[in-house]
Amino acid sequence: MEGVITKSKDVTLLEILDRVLDKGVVISGDIVISLADVDLIYVGLKVLVSSVETMERLRGEPFAGAQEEPT
Amino acid sequence: MDLIYLYCVIHKAPELKSFNKSLGFYSEQPVMSEVESSRGINDMERLIDGPYFIYHQGLFVLVSRVRKDEFGEENLKKNLADLEWIEQRASIHEKVIEEVMKDTCVIPFKFATLFNNEDSLKAMVEEYAEELKNNLNNLEGKEEWGLKIYCDIEKLKGVLTQKDDEISKVDKEISSSSPGKAFILKKKKKELLNTVLNAKLNKYGQNSFEELKELSLQTSINKLLPKEITERKDEMILNAAFLMAKDKVKEFISRVDNLKTEYSDKGIDFDCTGPWPPYNFTIMEKA
Repeated sequence: MEGVITKSKDVTLLEILDRVLDKGVVISGDIVISLADVDLIYVGLKVLVSSVETMERLRGEPFAGAQEEPT
Repeated sequence: MDLIYLYCVIHKAPELKSFNKSLGFYSEQPVMSEVESSRGINDMERLIDGPYFIYHQGLFVLVSRVRKDEFGEENLKKNLADLEWIEQRASIHEKVIEEVMKDTCVIPFKFATLFNNEDSLKAMVEEYAEELKNNLNNLEGKEEWGLKIYCDIEKLKGVLTQKDDEISKVDKEISSSSPGKAFILKKKKKELLNTVLNAKLNKYGQNSFEELKELSLQTSINKLLPKEITERKDEMILNAAFLMAKDKVKEFISRVDNLKTEYSDKGIDFDCTGPWPPYNFTIMEKA
């Protein structure tokens, strides 16, 4: 079973961003986190610019990481 | 004044015995429909007040009282720019839901779903009661598992340079060519390598996904996350979630292990986690 994590002991930041903050039932409560607020999370990460660029790139081409050629 | 923070919804009376006290559950009082009590609210030491259930319309809604100076609109915005705060609060969100999940099927809500008071929370429950119940019925006996596939691009390139016939042919030509021709051939090799690499990555990702999909009832392909977030050196090439019957989980894990072994020499790595609250498989059409 090497490498397979059965229930992570600590919830990693990765999973937080991927699940807790991004998924789950979205029903507008009385206070709504708008998309702009979610961007603030990335400001918190100090990677706003780079992550947005990367996301765009990756979204456009699922495996575009492969096309990045260090010159 | 404080706010009501919603974690998740369940549809049968929770067995509070198993609840982790450190998370602040009130095991003595299984179901509370009213919250008037002195605990927590003024307790500055406890950042999130202990979770409790509100029973309404046949559903148990797990909530906490949270402070307005932390979760009120303006302050929430500020806090969302504070990574440490997010990490701490979102971990609590996840851990609380996972505690409940040990006993029963849950519908996880997104981080920071907030209500001004119980009445407005109940109004929401009324509005969505049927959908919430349908989802709970659908999710019964099932688990969400996550799979992220990563690739060490340089390693795979190295493997392909050696193993791919076409590329190694160009490689050989380069070593026996004049500098001028070698320059052109190197460019050709680079292009060829990228084409082959992309094709291989697509194939590896697709094949692995398809194999695991066979075992699952529903799947979700999610956006790829950059290295700044994954904090890994290799590149994420697939981010997927699978919903499957509990009795399939064992086989799922063993298939992931087999894939891991099969692909290890190609620089491909599999990160499998679960069971998760079904974040990816709750469908609210009205929402």
